[in-house]
Amino acid sequence: MQVKIRKDIVKTDVLIIGGGIAGMQAAITAAENGSNVVVAEKADTRRSGCGATGNDHFMCYIPEYHGEDFNEIIREVTETLVGPLQDLNLLRLMMKRSFELVQKWESYGISMRPTGEWSFMGHAMPGRRRYHLKYDGHNQKPLLTKEALRQGAKIMNKMVMSELLTNEEGHVVGAIGVNIADDVPEVVVFQAKSVIISTGGALRLYPGLNPAYPFNVANCPADTGSGPAMAYRAGARLVNLEMPYVHSGPKFFARAGKATWIGVLTDFHGKPVGPFVTQPTRELGDVTADIWQGVFQEKMENGTGPVYMNCSKTSNDDMEYMMKAFVSEGDTSLVDYFEQYDIDLHKKMVEFGTFEYNFTARGLDIDLDGGTTLPGLYAAGNTTGNVRGDITSAAVFGHVSAESASKYAKQVKDYDVSDHPLIAEKIQLFNAILGRETGAHWKEANSMLQQIMKDYVGMKIRSETLLKAGLKYLGDLKRYSREQLKADNSHELMRVLEVLDLIDMGEAVAITSENRKESRGSCHQRSDYTFTNPLLNNKFQTIERTKHGIVADFREKNR
Amino acid sequence: MPPVVDKEKCVKCGLCAQICPLDVIKIEVEKQDKKIVVKYPDECWHCRACAIDCPKQAIQLRYPLSHMMLHMEAPNTERGEQSCK
Repeated sequence: MQVKIRKDIVKTDVLIIGGGIAGMQAAITAAENGSNVVVAEKADTRRSGCGATGNDHFMCYIPEYHGEDFNEIIREVTETLVGPLQDLNLLRLMMKRSFELVQKWESYGISMRPTGEWSFMGHAMPGRRRYHLKYDGHNQKPLLTKEALRQGAKIMNKMVMSELLTNEEGHVVGAIGVNIADDVPEVVVFQAKSVIISTGGALRLYPGLNPAYPFNVANCPADTGSGPAMAYRAGARLVNLEMPYVHSGPKFFARAGKATWIGVLTDFHGKPVGPFVTQPTRELGDVTADIWQGVFQEKMENGTGPVYMNCSKTSNDDMEYMMKAFVSEGDTSLVDYFEQYDIDLHKKMVEFGTFEYNFTARGLDIDLDGGTTLPGLYAAGNTTGNVRGDITSAAVFGHVSAESASKYAKQVKDYDVSDHPLIAEKIQLFNAILGRETGAHWKEANSMLQQIMKDYVGMKIRSETLLKAGLKYLGDLKRYSREQLKADNSHELMRVLEVLDLIDMGEAVAITSENRKESRGSCHQRSDYTFTNPLLNNKFQTIERTKHGIVADFREKNR
Repeated sequence: MPPVVDKEKCVKCGLCAQICPLDVIKIEVEKQDKKIVVKYPDECWHCRACAIDCPKQAIQLRYPLSHMMLHMEAPNTERGEQSCK
């Protein structure tokens, strides 16, 4: 099989890569700002990405509700869920504009106050302010899609994006995609004045709870770091890759939405493992795992586990509220599972586990305009590396990046990409993969990648020798993969390209992990540098490809 | 095979194949006969988008044993009782 090639180049002002929450918000805003907009989405924007079937918590500051003390809310955000890996100026911007986006979402028909009033629940410590607006997002993606179409955005579903195109000055001017709607893939070239990357985090890089089933992950397993990987190849700066993110939830059925559970985390005997709650309520579930993210794994390893989500003392009202909230959150599979397996949460406690390392909110280094270090390239949502906040981050920075990208697009001229040398190069690669009679299946490469990442790029311990060996093995895997991976159809070509992007991400993680010559937190323990260097306390590590090679460096955290 | 399509109820509209975030479900055409095929079952994310949006409620999810949700009798199941030991 060989690729088809679409004759007409798709020309647009703003190209949005990834139609999740960030991408759809960006599409709406850019179209509202008068730009021609194309969204390239690998699945279908109505049900794609981490928010595919819903979410229920929107971090938000509402002055009329919280009062004028904005800094109090910022303090709560940094001390509970979100942690230290973000530029505070971005976090402030995100929270400042959060209510504006909540109001926009309400105008799109998304139920932001299902009880009729603003209601803040969960993800909080006792006696402290709550900032997670409880909403019903079960139909958020269809509604965001509807609004984007109403504003005039063009959505191209089943479009897997593979590479960015830059001009002589390094400005982003387009991209190369593969349409996978039919069995035979079709290469599509995009010419865009500006590009927004909103491809989500990077799953499937580290092995999950049950490594034999790499799609058993809490976040969307279609998110494979392709946005940051193509941006990195084009020269954009990435940040915070050596400090991965871990989530937790039901074991071995990996689901997000741990704060939707109204229960107490207890040990085998029913004794709470954290100090926060003994009687769970809808206002205060157990925040322990937000603050002590490795609790489940640590207690398994020291023999004091397992740890359970124990809802036995949750009131009937709160239990009913929780079951509805699972639906809002997109976790209908949990409710379905409880029914199919007859699990009554008043009588049974569900074991929780620490999930795999992933790259949610680790990736592109953005500024207050949502801009990356490449002119013409913007980013939003979980694909960014220096601010997080899940839904809020996606919505606010989708909006902010689109405002900036539209403005930028009005200032630049079209750049003709039709003879760009990368186009022929990529077509050659696709045809080589599709043309192999025999070769390696993408699963072989994905599983070896996870194995190398686990053993050499640290779930437990890191060191110069392990990381340098790992980097060498990743290089070998990349070469063999490019030489051997085969695909028999569009679907398999998509998976092959995902694995190649993941290998690039893995290499960047290995390089930055080796370059951080200290130990920090639970995710970066170096046996050869066991101390925490205070000189790096307020610094983030970045990595980028320059004409002098790959440069990993530390920059000040923005206040 | 995670999504299970009820052939009696299915009208082969193809919406499930279109919206599946993981491209698990495909429409295969054989001699002008359209078939809904769960082609890549082990790539299912169990998000239930297909089941939620199916206009005929023809899809159910089967949760594979590889995804077993571990659970245990709660020690003090009488509510309101202090469970701390």
